[in-house]
Order: sequence, then C-alpha cells, then structure tokens
Amino acid sequence: MSAAWAMVRHRFASFAGTFVAVFLGVAVVSGSATLYLSSQPQAPARYDQAPVLVTPPNAETGDTRDQQAWTAAEASALAARLGSLPGVMAAVPDPWFYVQRLEAGRATGDDQAALIDGHPWSAATLGAYRLTDGRAPKAKGEVVIGTDVSATATARGGTAPAAAAAGTTASVAAGSGPRGSAVTAGTTVEVLTATGPETWQVTGTVDGPGFYVTDGEAARRASGVRVIGLTVTGDVQKVVDAAAAEVGSSGVVRSGAERDALEPGSITRVRWIGAQLLIALVSLGAFATVFVVSSTCALSAAQRRRELGLLRAVGATPGQVRRMMYAETSLVALLAGLIGAPAGAAAAPLLGDAMVGIGLEPAGFTVTWQPTALIGSVLLGLFVALAGVTAATRRASRIPPLDALREAAADPRAMTPARWVMGPLCAIAGGALLAGMPTFPLEMRSSAGLGAAMFLLCAAALLSPVLIVPLVRTVARPWRGTATGMLVREGTLTGVRRVASTAAPVLATVGLTVLLAGTVATIEVAAGIDETAKYPAADVLVPDGTPGLSAAAVAAQGAEPALTTRLLITHGDTTTGGYATGRGDGLVLDQFTASELGSKAGDVVTVRFADGARAELPVDAVEEEASIPQDLVRRHDPDALTSMIVLKDTAVPTPGARSVPIRDFVMEEIEEEGRLVDLFLLALIGLTAGYTAIAVGNTLLMATTARRVEFQALRLAGAGTGQVLRVVSGEALLAVSVGAALGGLVAVISLAGVRAAVEDEIGRDIDLVIPWGSTAAVTALCAALALTAAAFPVLRAARGRS
Amino acid sequence: MTNNATPAVELRAATRTYGTGERAVTALDRVDARFEPGTFTAVMGPSGSGKSTLLHCGAGLDRLTGGEVIIDGVPVGGLSERALTRLRRSRVGFVFQAFNLVPALTAAQNVALPLRLAGRRPQPGAVAGMLAEVGLTGREGHRPSELSGGQQQRVAIARALVSRPAVLFADEPTGSLDAASGAAVLSLLRAAVDRHRQTIVMVTHDPVAAATADRVLFLADGRVVGELPGSVGAERIALHTARLEGATAVAR
Ligand SMILES: Nc1ncnc2c1ncn2[C@@H]1O[C@H](COP(=O)(O)OP(=O)(O)OP(=O)(O)O)[C@@H](O)[C@H]1O
Ligand SMILES: [Mg+2]
Repeated sequence: MSAAWAMVRHRFASFAGTFVAVFLGVAVVSGSATLYLSSQPQAPARYDQAPVLVTPPNAETGDTRDQQAWTAAEASALAARLGSLPGVMAAVPDPWFYVQRLEAGRATGDDQAALIDGHPWSAATLGAYRLTDGRAPKAKGEVVIGTDVSATATARGGTAPAAAAAGTTASVAAGSGPRGSAVTAGTTVEVLTATGPETWQVTGTVDGPGFYVTDGEAARRASGVRVIGLTVTGDVQKVVDAAAAEVGSSGVVRSGAERDALEPGSITRVRWIGAQLLIALVSLGAFATVFVVSSTCALSAAQRRRELGLLRAVGATPGQVRRMMYAETSLVALLAGLIGAPAGAAAAPLLGDAMVGIGLEPAGFTVTWQPTALIGSVLLGLFVALAGVTAATRRASRIPPLDALREAAADPRAMTPARWVMGPLCAIAGGALLAGMPTFPLEMRSSAGLGAAMFLLCAAALLSPVLIVPLVRTVARPWRGTATGMLVREGTLTGVRRVASTAAPVLATVGLTVLLAGTVATIEVAAGIDETAKYPAADVLVPDGTPGLSAAAVAAQGAEPALTTRLLITHGDTTTGGYATGRGDGLVLDQFTASELGSKAGDVVTVRFADGARAELPVDAVEEEASIPQDLVRRHDPDALTSMIVLKDTAVPTPGARSVPIRDFVMEEIEEEGRLVDLFLLALIGLTAGYTAIAVGNTLLMATTARRVEFQALRLAGAGTGQVLRVVSGEALLAVSVGAALGGLVAVISLAGVRAAVEDEIGRDIDLVIPWGSTAAVTALCAALALTAAAFPVLRAARGRS
Repeated sequence: MTNNATPAVELRAATRTYGTGERAVTALDRVDARFEPGTFTAVMGPSGSGKSTLLHCGAGLDRLTGGEVIIDGVPVGGLSERALTRLRRSRVGFVFQAFNLVPALTAAQNVALPLRLAGRRPQPGAVAGMLAEVGLTGREGHRPSELSGGQQQRVAIARALVSRPAVLFADEPTGSLDAASGAAVLSLLRAAVDRHRQTIVMVTHDPVAAATADRVLFLADGRVVGELPGSVGAERIALHTARLEGATAVAR
C-alpha cells in the first residue's frame, strides 16, 4: 500500500485522468442522488397536526387515480365513530374541491394545486391553522382565505411553476404590480370554481394556504371525501390501532411515513419527471466514469510498462502488480470521491432551485442532507474505478520482467484476447436490445435504446484497434507524400493503443449526442405529423391557466359541457378504472374497457362514481369513447371540469378559458412536451459531452507528455517546433476523426433500431433524422480540445528550451 | 575445479531461440555453465553473442527454449510464473545497465523493495547498512532523479544484495559510467565476493573490469568458446576478445 501511495504521489499526472473522471462522476452521482433522495413524497403541510390520517381503501386496480372516495354521508358517519375513540381529539373529514383566485379576469396560481385548494373550515384544525383576522365562514358565499391567496399576484407568480410555464399571459399579470391587490377580511374575492366565476365574501384570513368555506358548502362542492384527519393526544400508536379496528376494511389508517401517500398526484408526477432526469444523470455519469477510467488506465499502464517490468524483475509477482494497481486506483478514486461527493452535494441545491424553476420538482422543494447519497456515491466511484482498471491490471500483470529493458514506444499488441471476447459480446448484447425493442413496453424503450447504445459504444471502443489501422490508412492517404503525413501516419499506426484511447471518449461523445438528439428529432417529427392529422380546421376553447373549463365557460359558448369523470366499473370479478365523458342518456363503454371487463351491450355493471356512490347500470353500447349521462356526472362529480370544447362560432370571452385554432393548440402541447425533452437532452448531452471532452484532453495531454523523448529525436532530425506541432495536431485530429466516425456509425445503427420501434408502434414509415448541427458542434468541440491538449506540452517544452 | 557443494547457478545444454522459421535467431546454443558459490565470473563476447540472454535465462527473467537452468538447486523449468518470481526474489539479484530504480521511490525504499515484496519487514538498520556498504550514507531519502548515474548503480547493487541472494547478475553495470564511478562499482562487487562469499556473474565489454573477476567466460554466436582466469590481467583478456571479434567478423 505504501508503494502504491508513493506511485500515486510521484506520478500524479498519469493518475490525473482517473482522478478527474472519478471526481466528476462522483460529483454528478452524489448531486443527483442527493436531489433524488431529497425529493420524497410528503403529506401536505395542511395535515401537519394530524398524525393519523384515514383514507378510503386503496385502489383495487393498483392505479392511484382509481383511489375510491367515501360519500359525504359515509365520511361523516365514520368521522363520528373515529372521533369518539380514546385519544382522538377530533376526526375531521376534508372534502376538497377546485377553487382558483381570479385577478383581473385571469386565473392565478398553479392550476394543478388549485384542484385541491378548497376546504371546509373545520379542516383548518388539521394544520393547526388559526384565524389571523376576522371570523370563520358561516354562510354560503363566505370564505376565509389563506396566506397564499391574500398575498398579491406579484408575490405568488414567482412560486408557481405552471404560471411561469404558461408563458406570456401569466407574466403580464405578474409584471403589473398593484393590480393584484391584497385581500383582507371584509372585502370580496373573485374566484373560479367548477361552476364558474364567483364572488365570495372574505370573512377572515388564516395563517395557512387555501380557501376555507363552511363544512356544508365544501361537502356540496367536493366529489366525495378522500381523507379524514385525526388530531390526537397521548400515544399515537394506540390511536392507530384503535382506529384500524374501528375502520376495518372500509379504510386505511396511515401514520408516520404512510401519511406521505397523501401527496397530491400532480406533485408526485412532477417529482417523477424530475426523478427520470436524475436517474438518467446517474446512469450516464457512472457509464462515462467506467468508460473514461478504463481508457485512461489502459493508457497509463501502457506508458508504465517499463516501470512495471522493473517491479516484476525485482520480484513482484503478477498478483502483486495487480494488487498494487488496484491499490493505486482505489487511492485515487477514494481521494477523488471524497472531494467529489461533497462538491456534488454542495451543488445540489443550485440544481434543485433550477429544477423547481423548470417544473421538474414541486414548488417549495428543498434539498436536504443525504449521507446515503454521499457515502453511496463515494463507494460507487470506487467500484466504478476498480471496474474500469480491471482490464488494465490484468494486462499489466502479464508484462514480462524483461520489459524493464525495453523502450515502450512500439505497441506490442493493441488487441488483447479480452478485447476480442468482450467486444463482440457487447456488440451482441447491444444488437439484441435493439432487435428486441418492439417487444418492450413503451416506457422502457428509451432506456433500452440508451442501453443498446452504451453496449454498442463499448463494443466499438473495444474493437477500435482493429478498425483504426484501415481507417487511418484511408484517411491519411491524400497526405502520404509529405513528411508530416508520413510521420502522422506511422506514428498513429505504431501507437494504435494511444489512438484508441484518444478516440474512445470522442466515440462516446459523438455517439451519444447523435443518438439522443437523433431519437428526439425522429420521434418529434413522427409525432408532429401524427397529431395534426386528426384535427379539423376549427377553433377550440381550452383552459387558460386552469386545470379545465368551468361549467360557466362552456355555457357562455352556448355549448353543452363535456365533463370528464373517472369511473370504477365492476363486472363479475373484474374491476377497472377509466375516464368517461358526460353525454347521452346511458352508459357507453369504450372497447378497451369492455374487453377488459368482458362485458357487452345489455350487461349490467356496477359503477362507482368519484363521490363514492355506486349504481347498477346496464351497458347501452360499446363505442370508441366511454360516456355516461351528464346529470349523473354532475350529481356524483360536482367538481368535474370540461377539458376542452370545439367551437362552432367565435368564442365569447370568459375567465379561465381561451380559444385557439386546433392546430395551434396541438402544437402548443407538443412544444410544451418538447421543451421538457429538450431540457433533458441538453442536460444529458451536456453531461456526456463535457465529461468525455475532458477525457479527450486528458488522454492527449498524457500521451503527448510521455512522448517528449520522441519529439526530441524529431527535433534532432531537423524538425522545427512548427513541424512537430503539425505532426502532433495531425495525429490528434486523426484520432478525433476516427472516434467521430465510429461513434456516428454506432449511433446511426442504434437510431435505426429506435426508428424501427417507433414505426412498429405507429404503423407507418417515418424519416430518420440525423442531428447534423449538434453532431458537428460536439465533434468540433472534441477537435478543439484535442488540439489544445496535444499542442500544450509541445509548446511548453519549446518555451522551456528558448 | 572440483567441488561437492551445489552450484549457485547451473545451465545445462541451455538453448534460447527467438522467433520462428526463417527469422529464428539462436541466441544461446546448448550452453553448459556452472557458477560456484562465492565466485566472481565475468562474461565477455562480441555484441549479439548472447551474453544478455545468458544472464536473463540464468536469472529466471526469461525462459529457455531447450535445456535446463538450475538456481540454487531448484530447476526453474517447471515453475509457475509466481513460483519463479518468488525464487528470483529470494535467490537472485539483478543489476541492469540502466533504469534499475523505480522513479517514484527513494533510494532506501528501492533497496527495501524486494524484502517488502516478499512480505518481510526489513531489519532495522539493514537498509541503511546496505546503503552504507555501497557508500551512500545520508542518501536514503533521495529519489533516483536526484542521484548521479554511478550512485543509482550503487543503489541498484545494494538492492540486489539486500536479500543475500545466492547469485547476483549484473549486465554491463559499468557500461554507462565514467572510469572513476565504474571502478567504485567494481570494487563494491569484488568486496561482496571477498567479504560475504557472494556469487556474481557480470557481463562486461571492459577487459579491466573483467580482470577483477575470478574467471572470464567468452561467448560467441551463443556458445561458450573459451575461459580464462581473471588473474591473467586486462591485456591478455583484451587480446583474447580482439581475436574472438576478428574471428566472428571473418565468419560473417
Ligand atoms: N527479444 C528478442 N527478440 C529477437 N531476438 C533477440 C531478442 N533478444 C535478443 N535477440 C537476439 O539474440 C541475440 C543475442 O542477443 P543478446 O542481447 O544476448 O546479445 P549480447 O551479447 O548481450 O549483445 P550486446 O553486447 O550488444 O548487449 C542477438 O542476435 C539478438 O538480436
Ligand atoms: Mg547485452
């Protein structure tokens, strides 16, 4: 171990590559993991004073959207029973409903959060919210408003990601200052609910978020009850046990971490999207580390041939050489990890804020201290570095002792048996993933594509020595007459291993860039054509900063609302959930649901509505879309909204709605999605490109520094610094071209696989889009870095002499 | 020479061929040689005659293609790489012409390296004593880059001797040194033989160096072609060498 330490200290330059790679990898992993672990579901702050929450039974379909509700009657009966249990101070049902503040006719705040912003006044106890002014609501049309509502729109605009995302319209309101005036007790407030715009009398303000109306009013507006909160005294566990016995199978008693399941779905979804990015960052970070560490280790082992031979001659067994290299790498990796992990964790809050701003984490997301992320990433860094160095150590341990006497200039064997075995294996694994793509479930396909590309990139990197010789011969052909051309060509051909090491990171960068950008472009083009094809040339009325259209907004157009509700339908033993639109005068099932239930027209099925009520209904018909009579929806899902309506005439302006041509609306939707995708792309490409670019620079710096003697000889043979520079640059560019060519090839193969999968999915031929712009940019970046790194040692040596 | 002790190293019909087919070079051609304990042998011969090959094979750094090498009574032919390394570590010392030291380690660490590799802790003072013996007191903490060529060679000798090997091989140890440093290195080797009965086999091109040995072995075209006692003096050795070189030059 002490010898390893001495080596590391003495030859830090040759370990710098490993150090930088592990440092960055660990920093990325620890930062991402810190964010990931910080972003855990959390019970809403509104229930902070309710250590025990009782919810209706879990969805039997496993889909959280199918979570049942209690009817208002069931809920109050259950609450009464729970309230009388020992240790329970109060059992309060919280029937929430949609309400959103209107300012100057515009909906404010986060549209998804607004879906659960209305509460009964009694539920304020669950968060121990107290009146700061005025009195509790007593009658219909009276409201106590929370801190977030009473504040001005200017202050609220900043914390609402959706407002920022909605773009121009929201920012106009946010920028105009006094218009969003503070609301105090005794004034009125304009709000939008499922019915339409309303003016409520503000009777008081409370020190928590939300709108609080009378209990009766809340029960009338809400679609069933989904939670009963218990405030308790004494031992929580006793209350939990007693409540569980009392509730039985008609509900679930949650305490501690189980309460966090009550996080609103919209927030959970935001977290989920963020998590996808973080997971991708972690896996790419780990991949890039292994990739870079293995190529720098291979190079440094080759450069240290003589030294390792000497150790063997002096009496080090192959095992000892291996162990020494592992020890060295462990030391470097630990050192890098111990610095990188805190660095990543320290950077996490910055990234966290950015993610909140973009809508990849919920508002109010804070990064917390995550020791697991730190320790885990250090260990991962160590493990990944050791994995990367394995091949190099195996090779190094076979160095014969007599190599201590030999100059290390000529590569003895660029292709090793391990490369011959692993290369084709990786190629087969990647190919199999690509071929099997159409059989994977949709959400796994992008990961499968990325995985396939990683395998293929590894295969290309492993087999690159074989490909380099013919490639170099072809590329260098035009210059074979000149001295520089000859030197470059011969230098490259005798240093195949060095070229392979330099080409490897370029290969990964270009390959991943082309693949990621190409996949997105290909899918975007395909999706664009797909969506527009369906719609006629008309205008639609769509939500404007709201989660849906209110009944009034629809009625203003003289149209019938098309309320969307979620039903839980049981036929025989099968139960399934699905959306249905309010229309017609009987139950119509869509084909998918019908086949799942095994039911046809005429069968009688049990329908459970959003409010928890049940009804036996005959199936009228099976059609393309599910529907159910409008009045049933109104009765059982009073909070239901209309997602959009197609307009016959020009739209009548109404709050919380706007009209746009169908085509534009579709494009907006695609762009909104594209914005996220672009962001993902930028993050992932930025990570890989930045990472591998460092590797390119580092490898060349290492290689050129080690070749000082060779360049000295060139100078003695009469070459000027300019000529040496030309040779070095030529070699660097050649390596970059080889890497870019191989990377591009791999990416195009993977892209073809992705395209085949998409074609299979939509049943139509699509164009393969190759992102020339980003490819060129990334290649140019690699070339620039390579040139700088290669020229630097030469120039420094030249300056040292003069 | 009569004896009943085991020789430090013995080569029997040792053959080493490089390459195959038309390009095959026979660097050692059925060489028989014994190196008795406590003797100092110089190996001489024209360039390319197989001197280095003889040393490498004798030291177990390289493997024979035919015949046998026996180090301190152990035939090395059947040993695994690991076992051979261990044998080499404990019984054989080696000094190359240059690049003997691990640049990352200090003089003392370099000297202690074989012991440490063997998993032994050097006796307190053993390493310093060894360095003192080669005249490098006070240089323990210096790295190779801070030592002169002659000093580096002396560190290498100290390292080769520290595990008290059965035999020390040196391939032109004075080849890259000036006369004074070379003489110092030679007297060191001589002293090791005289004081500690160390067995030494040294390749040299210098008749003066060869004259410090007990016996001079002449090699040509991979065969042993003659032997002189070192005591005959540098001039006769030089004469013999010149004749040999002339003969090979004519033969080619
Ligand atoms: N690794 C090798 N591959 C092929 N041939 C070799 C190798 N090593 C040595 N030879 C050949 O074997 C022969 C003997 O080489 P060796 O190095 O033993 O000579 P030497 O007597 O030490 O010469 P010098 O005095 O120049 O050091 C030479 O013809 C040489 O070319
Ligand atoms: Mg030689």
